[in-house]
Amino acid sequence: MGRWQRVRSHRGAVLAGGVLLLLALSSVIVPALSPYDYYTPQLQFISLPPTLHGAHLLGTDPLGRDLLIRVLWGIRISLLIGLAASCISVVVGVLWGAIAGYAGGAIDALMMRAVDVLYSVPFVPFVIVLTVLFGHQLWLMFVAIGAVSWLDIARIVRGETLSLKRREFIEAARVSGVRAARMIRTHIVPNLLGVVIIYATLTVPSVILFEAFMSFLGLGVRAPLASLGSLIADGASDMQAHPHLLLVPAVVLATIVYCFNFIGDGLRDALDPHERP
Amino acid sequence: MPRYILRRVLESVPTLLLIVTLAFVLLHLAPGGPFSADKPLLPEIRHSIEARYHLQEPLWRQYLRYLNDLAHGDLGPSFQYRNTSVNQIIATGFPVDLTVGLSAIVVALLVGIPIGLNAAWRRHTWWDRLPMALAVAGISLPVFVIAPLLVLVFAVQLHWLPAGDWVPGSLSHMVLPVLALSLPYIAYVARIVRGSALEVLNTAYIRTARAKGLSTLRILLHHALRPSLAPVVSFLGPTTAGVITISIVVETVFGLPGIGRFFVTGALNRDYTLVLGITILYGTLIILFNLLADLCYAWLDPRVRL
Amino acid sequence: MRLAAPRALAFTATALLVACSHQADPLLGSSAPQITVGTALAGSQAIARTLDDSPRSLDPQLTTDIPSQRVLDDLFEGLVTFSIDGKPSPGAAASWQQSADSKTWVFHLRPDARWSNGAPLTAEDFLYSWRREVDPKTGAGYAQALAPIVNALDIALGRKPPEALGVEANDAHTLTVHLGAATPYLLDLMDQTYLYPVYRPAIERYGDDWVRPGNLVSNGAFMLREDVIGNRITLSANPFYWDAAHVRLRSVIYYTMPDRAQAVLRYLAGDVQFTDSFAASQRPWLKRTLGDQVVNSPWLGIYMLAFNFKLPPFRDNLPLRQALILAIDRAALTQYLKFGMYEPADTLMPPLDGYQQQHPDWAAKTQLERDALARRLYREAGFTAEHPLRVNLSTSVQGADERHYMEAVAAMWHAVLGAEVALDETEFKVLAQNRELRLLPLFFDAWIGDFADPVNFMQLFQSGSAFNYGSYANPRFDALLERVARDPDNGARYRLLEQAEQILNADAAYIPLYYYATRHLIKPYVQGWRSNVMDRNLSRYMYILEHQGR
Repeated sequence: MGRWQRVRSHRGAVLAGGVLLLLALSSVIVPALSPYDYYTPQLQFISLPPTLHGAHLLGTDPLGRDLLIRVLWGIRISLLIGLAASCISVVVGVLWGAIAGYAGGAIDALMMRAVDVLYSVPFVPFVIVLTVLFGHQLWLMFVAIGAVSWLDIARIVRGETLSLKRREFIEAARVSGVRAARMIRTHIVPNLLGVVIIYATLTVPSVILFEAFMSFLGLGVRAPLASLGSLIADGASDMQAHPHLLLVPAVVLATIVYCFNFIGDGLRDALDPHERP
Repeated sequence: MPRYILRRVLESVPTLLLIVTLAFVLLHLAPGGPFSADKPLLPEIRHSIEARYHLQEPLWRQYLRYLNDLAHGDLGPSFQYRNTSVNQIIATGFPVDLTVGLSAIVVALLVGIPIGLNAAWRRHTWWDRLPMALAVAGISLPVFVIAPLLVLVFAVQLHWLPAGDWVPGSLSHMVLPVLALSLPYIAYVARIVRGSALEVLNTAYIRTARAKGLSTLRILLHHALRPSLAPVVSFLGPTTAGVITISIVVETVFGLPGIGRFFVTGALNRDYTLVLGITILYGTLIILFNLLADLCYAWLDPRVRL
Repeated sequence: MRLAAPRALAFTATALLVACSHQADPLLGSSAPQITVGTALAGSQAIARTLDDSPRSLDPQLTTDIPSQRVLDDLFEGLVTFSIDGKPSPGAAASWQQSADSKTWVFHLRPDARWSNGAPLTAEDFLYSWRREVDPKTGAGYAQALAPIVNALDIALGRKPPEALGVEANDAHTLTVHLGAATPYLLDLMDQTYLYPVYRPAIERYGDDWVRPGNLVSNGAFMLREDVIGNRITLSANPFYWDAAHVRLRSVIYYTMPDRAQAVLRYLAGDVQFTDSFAASQRPWLKRTLGDQVVNSPWLGIYMLAFNFKLPPFRDNLPLRQALILAIDRAALTQYLKFGMYEPADTLMPPLDGYQQQHPDWAAKTQLERDALARRLYREAGFTAEHPLRVNLSTSVQGADERHYMEAVAAMWHAVLGAEVALDETEFKVLAQNRELRLLPLFFDAWIGDFADPVNFMQLFQSGSAFNYGSYANPRFDALLERVARDPDNGARYRLLEQAEQILNADAAYIPLYYYATRHLIKPYVQGWRSNVMDRNLSRYMYILEHQGR
């Protein structure tokens, strides 16, 4: 595996990062410059298909709102939810799983049983209760989704820690008297990064889709705001008549997911200790 | 090992109890009850219905009553479906989900593992890039997009497969739902396997085997497979439980009489017993599959001590 | 009718018995459609229909949801049934008479009426079933349905025992019904599912399980063969049904399909022949592809927004209410967002034979005129650009189409008036509870008529009515409804109800949006149905023509 290939994959990651940055910046800048907004209906122009020369580049939605602007707002909301919830999940999940896996014994059992319990709690009533207690706030989405997503990461990290624990260099470190907290921070967690990054890049799209499912049930972002997930959910019901309503947000979502994966790959290649020449 | 299993089984009892309690509290915290609806009930009648379902008793007493029934295997009557019990609903619906869900997991493993291993072995070639690119598509296109598309193409246009419904024992009714359900998991499994296989394949141990001239297949199967599977096992543990119970979209699109849809509509309609019953089922499955996953883990990686 | 009845109760049993006389003589015999000689019928007379959700229960007294109603209509039959046009026609009762004051009705059951197990159907069965409906211990879903019957409400409120119900089984085939007040629309009441008879021995023997296949005994055109909850219900023809000779279908399958898009796909694949709904946004495409198979016809129901008369900002602010009503371009909404599926509404009552719709003044103006008037009224109400109206519009989650509609309404109010109305979309139970607690200033409400009489709609605004979520109260309106309850002449009643509706218009009591419509996809080879305002399409009249393809 030559250096060229490594650089190329890094370049892919850089490209992906650039695309994401572009999307994120557009989602803030373009709506400010555009004559259209995301909430004013224009009933004479509903569900127009995309046209290159027309007034609406990507067409309009069922209320006649410019789809490009709606999708850009959707990107903003989805990225926000995706990144925030994933950050929460990863931080909580990694710490939980690493501590449980390293500590072993009763602590491990207790922590993982707690994960089991939280896994089984029905999320729909949970979200309903949150919505009722705090109203339809956006940050609620982060909390609700983050609260559900960290569990998977915790399990995986705990599993990886279990096997890492037995590796020679860990034994060596332990013998030389390194304390548990330091052990976890400097030896375990960096070695987990490979798997964690892969999993984190898988989490972002699943978080966005989870939010779509919640929008489906009326528990997601409040209208007229839209997320990519809710745009896809709305478009899926009208697939045969107006495919662009589904295809545009779906392609955008796929692009974002691709980018996160490329970035994940690049990061893993860079950080993986076995990759260094 | 048997002592470990016994310990886990015993541990599961307080776990399940905690799950039931949390779910119970959560459900009753949500505003509205099962009988506030379109046509308001006359007070005496509402009183009578609520008395029959013990909804007027203080919460702690309802809770204890529920636990008592639970100990006798009775999950209670459904509040939405007044002549049906939760046991009946689960008995009708769960086998469907189990069949489709387990098949989907099996397909995901059978298809995803080889793809992932192959991708890791031939990294950066088309064997790697193409399947991984498709995998990303599989993850990023939601089931509620893929499933109707499958129905549109294979059932409505081509008439090769039925458009939905569930006929026990009929394989043709299973193809599309299993396909739709397994696609994202094939993708997940392939990616995870590729990731961990890459790490394994770069160890000195494997490099030695390659240098010794062992055949590809032998290396993959005998040396790389078992360690690579570890994260897959961790992932699939709880996921399988979820695939089996909460594939509501697949159920709705294909008209499968499973319990996923009942779970969500039950929560939205405050059918306390139905939601609690499915939660318990779900919790039991999670505990079971976690245990199986941990056992698998120990088998895959002999260094792990349970 | 729930609340006027207690005051109008009069127990004049002896007088009634004397006053009984023969009035209009309804037809005997089957109301099944004639099939022209020579029509080729398909070899297999079986149909598959869809339901929007699983029926809550097959117990006629317990359920109020539409999916249950569809199945119950095929399993059971009341004294009165629907003809193919949705009009009352003889069912289990072959004929009936009403007294001169319309307070006593005598129903004559068919001597050959049977249950699906061969047992004879008697007046006792109806007596038992109706007592069961009002008995609080049963926990019936809509005991108010029997309100016109003497003592019905008292029993439901727990004040009298079920035996006190004003119904007698004079002999095995005669049922006498005593009403608290003249009820000219009684026949329309009689064909509601709550009044279907149930088989007592099965209930006593099996308890809650009496509705399972094998236990359930029905008196309608079909019997219950299979019930897989969440999936399907299968019915087969009942050989003991009195009109079995004219029932062509041998089996009916009802599939539960909550996803409308899936229902369309299954219809296209030929799995189902008669669906129960489709999304408005699909209508243009469906019309292009399927043409006449897309059936939309008026359904007696209204979709509206309601004000709360006890809370600000709408309390005591007539101009504000009027402004909001005017500033909505209903025609544009139903054209662009509902694709012509519904008719825009300006009155409470949808079109009904014999009833004059009371169109308010603004109905004749153009939308431009309405918008201008709305702006004036808005300012008169005390709101300006600096101090706009700020209020939540509470709705429940129903789907993308409905959300878009509400968003558009709020946007119109913003564009025309500058009002800031935020859409508060919650899941249904939360809305239902908040509505019941009268907490919401502006909220979504809808009503489908239980039977084809305007009083069923007017009661929504009667003070003290459980359905009056906005706490609207106008003594003149209530007084008119009381007079309606006492009047036996339908013509006179309708005139009074028209006046009552005028009061609602003058008070700007609610915001009408559109009238309901039926939404079916029906294969061209399915015959024996006709669109009707109650959307009751009984399978007993249907038959399948010979056809190629799906």
